[in-house]
Amino acid sequence: MNNPDVIIIGSGVIGNATAYNLAKRGLSVTVLEKSPIIGDGGSSRNGGGVRQSGRHPAELPLAMYAIKNLWPGLSDELGTDVEYCQKGNLRLGKTKEHLDILKGLVKSNTAQNLDMRMIDYKEAREICPYLSEEVKGASWCATDGHANPMLATLAYYKAARRLGVRFITGVDVVTLRKIRGRIAQVCTADGTVYNAGQIVVAAGYESRKILSSVGIDIPMSQLLMECIVTEEAPPMFEQMLGTAMADFYGHQSKHGSFVFGGAHGFEPFATAGDVQTSSIGTSSTCRAIIGYFPALQHLKIVRTWAGWLDDCADHIPVIENALPGLTVGCAFSGHGFGISPVVGVLLAELAAGEQTTLDVSAFKHDRFKAKI
Amino acid sequence: MSFDLMVIGAGPAGLSAAAEAASHGLKVAVFDENALPGGQLFKQIHKFFGSKEHKAKMRGIDIGIELLEETDSLGVKVFLNSPVVGLYKNREIVVRQKETVRHFKADSIIVATGASENLLPFDGWTLPGVMGAGAAQTMMNINRVKPGNRVLMLGSGNVGLVVGFQLLQAGCELVAIADAAPRIGGYGVHASKLTRTGVPFYLSHTIMRAEGRENVTGVVIGQVDENWQHIPDTEKHFEVDTICLAVGLSPSAQLLKMAGCKMSQNGTPVCDKSGETSLYNIFAAGDVSGIEEASSAMIEGRISAAAAAKKLGFISEKSFQKRSGELDAALSELRQGMFAPQNRNAPLEKTDEGFNISKSLLKKGYITEEEISEYPGFKPGAGIRPVIECTQNIPCDPCRDICPKGCIKVENIVSLPVYDENTNCTGCGLCVAACPGQAIFLTDDRPGKVEEGKVAITIPYEFLPLPEKVGPGMAYDRSGAPLCPAYVSKIQESAFLGKTPLVTFVVPKNMAMRARFWKAV
Amino acid sequence: MTDRQYIIGEFSPASDDDLIICRCEEITKGEIRRAVFDGMFNICEVRRLLRCGMGLCQGLTCGRLVKSVIAGEIGLSATALEDATARAPMRPTEMFIFAKEVTDE
Repeated sequence: MNNPDVIIIGSGVIGNATAYNLAKRGLSVTVLEKSPIIGDGGSSRNGGGVRQSGRHPAELPLAMYAIKNLWPGLSDELGTDVEYCQKGNLRLGKTKEHLDILKGLVKSNTAQNLDMRMIDYKEAREICPYLSEEVKGASWCATDGHANPMLATLAYYKAARRLGVRFITGVDVVTLRKIRGRIAQVCTADGTVYNAGQIVVAAGYESRKILSSVGIDIPMSQLLMECIVTEEAPPMFEQMLGTAMADFYGHQSKHGSFVFGGAHGFEPFATAGDVQTSSIGTSSTCRAIIGYFPALQHLKIVRTWAGWLDDCADHIPVIENALPGLTVGCAFSGHGFGISPVVGVLLAELAAGEQTTLDVSAFKHDRFKAKI
Repeated sequence: MSFDLMVIGAGPAGLSAAAEAASHGLKVAVFDENALPGGQLFKQIHKFFGSKEHKAKMRGIDIGIELLEETDSLGVKVFLNSPVVGLYKNREIVVRQKETVRHFKADSIIVATGASENLLPFDGWTLPGVMGAGAAQTMMNINRVKPGNRVLMLGSGNVGLVVGFQLLQAGCELVAIADAAPRIGGYGVHASKLTRTGVPFYLSHTIMRAEGRENVTGVVIGQVDENWQHIPDTEKHFEVDTICLAVGLSPSAQLLKMAGCKMSQNGTPVCDKSGETSLYNIFAAGDVSGIEEASSAMIEGRISAAAAAKKLGFISEKSFQKRSGELDAALSELRQGMFAPQNRNAPLEKTDEGFNISKSLLKKGYITEEEISEYPGFKPGAGIRPVIECTQNIPCDPCRDICPKGCIKVENIVSLPVYDENTNCTGCGLCVAACPGQAIFLTDDRPGKVEEGKVAITIPYEFLPLPEKVGPGMAYDRSGAPLCPAYVSKIQESAFLGKTPLVTFVVPKNMAMRARFWKAV
Repeated sequence: MTDRQYIIGEFSPASDDDLIICRCEEITKGEIRRAVFDGMFNICEVRRLLRCGMGLCQGLTCGRLVKSVIAGEIGLSATALEDATARAPMRPTEMFIFAKEVTDE
């Protein structure tokens, strides 16, 4: 088989979106995935938020671009309903300290022209009538929303496949290799060597090990996040929800089930590599939710799951052409899904050697310096 | 709260495990999601096969009661209405109790969560009236609700056959048993219990569709070829309100899978000989580790519990070896014969003794008159004597043990029983009632007891209402075909008979080796 | 290793495509078959695309059936396919019950 123009390592939503955008240009693409399952990492294991509010200043332009230009037409473009719902994001606060945190976010985000503001309890209740009376106020961004990450990941996969992208699952990439100074080979655990004109590493936390074979170290660690899924309920509210304390987040899906993520405080101490849920996470998340939405307390939980996120030292990703022949897209720190459509475009542009639509200079891997 | 051993599932395997462990001094808790302990045992109103140590000829319900008395007396804590919602690291479980969740830990865990019924999709399978055979059994025997009036059973394994018989006992009409396989999957004796009452078998047949708009009003079955493909123009229609599916069980191994146990391709956890999974001190016992009879599950539970007792230092290596030796021997006895797991797909041609296995029994559910005369339990003659129509090698021997006169010989547990003509049968009928397969009958033509030219035939009769004494009726042959008028001469009920009444009816002498059932007219 | 370029041919409708396989989420055999032709080669991907096995019964009823449909389309035996992941809670449980933990007494 002829060598492809581009090899992408990782079939998560980032890898698949990049594959799709490269294939649209007529380039030949092969995607290598370690798992036997497409998009089995954080792409299928996240809360589905598509939001701008609360983003890091460097990342916010990407989110604003994606929400303005890409998310609204994504289902039509990919031919699969990704359940994108743009009905706003409420970030809730119960105390003065909470409200101060929210005000800080509003100040930072509005400085970059995001339409976002503080609202009081009354207005928040008008937007979402199921809020607990303990809620004192919220930040509100009407153009935020949510989508179904599992569907979006598979929608990109299906669309890329239709355009001729070759996907190989169950391939454990161990190292990259330079040929005359340019990254040109991908070597796997079983000794197979794949050649390509350009190589894109979009393998989540696993990227760290792969990139270290060519001398790049991205300071990221793994964090295990847990989510709960409820039974189907009648439509109650459409907003993406979060709290100032980040003790839970989530939304009601198109199907009617609620998907909520939460935190129990021991996430950094989970056993590496293991995607088991903890014995305490579900209870902790339930208490957090009921504290804000008592009306949901009788809904049954039908499923819980956990997934690793690749948490970067400064909580923003690496998106760049790191070396000749090598494009990197990783370290999304738990908020990659919302910007995945635009990251797919940017990584494709980088890999194809084009001018990028947005400035990505903030996402270089050489930004990490000693603090003193 | 913490225990030496937690057992998940209070069925036959779980309760046996708990009793065994507690007997070695472990502090044991059992968790079950149901309101009553016993798992499937309390649905099992039929008598079990096996030997004394396997609790043969006892009914499941009685075994359940006995096990509960054992666990009670040993101080086992049984938590009911307590579904285990998760099995986590460090042998921690989260249990739903009332309106809370509770966390428990133990040094050792035995998962004995049993199995769930397989279903089969066909046109109309979501209509009310289509149900698992086990569900029908729960309705009848636990909730005392008749599942329907006219029933078709799909599946001729022991579950289909046993539940089919219980449907008859509950007063349902069983219009047919169908199975896509070319031969009856369960014990021949279970099938024969049904055929002599008139239930037809359709082998190499499967369900084409269920009919009805709001609920099942009919079913169409059709023949399949050896590649399971439908043969056109073979459809048969039955008016039924219920379709029972007995198409196998799948291990309920979700907890083990969630905990990260290594699983095999057939959905069971990978276990060592004692049932220990790939996770340290977590065991699997009973159907969850591989579908077998409840008798095997009970021994498996004890084997795992003994291993846990040894690992936790409650018994010495030496006493463990002794105990596990006994248990392994009992288990390997049950795993013999032509229906043993290792023989599941072997062709059934000859018995261990070299007798031809009845083809009619495998295809139609009854043994023909020509075939039956070959067998060692079948020795027609004068006087009173048992006629033993047990023709397949099944691990079972209560007929030998119960006979006070030693008339019945069973060489090893799977051998066919032999009637020894040099003994004196008194006609007590204990063997008739004890046989879990209801395959023993008495014939009696003793002058003075029975009119000249007639013979009295005694059959096990587990139906209500019992016939009236001297009630007129009809005798039926093994295929369920009516033979001749027959009147009932005797009805016996006693504690010794283990709740299997014996009905004796009188027919002309030439019907002695043919008449095997009686119905009122 | 599975090369997903592996061609399983063109999707062609079958007479029993309307048969419901997952009762909770009302997913038909035809939808599952089509998902396989769209590149979903295992239970996990089919579930994530269609929701079959993600309803109240948590796939206990249809898990095997979905597996056999997928296996049938890609020409594997059903045992060669990995079962769906087992996830807590084993029985659907209300949030307010999970919220009330009793650790000891």
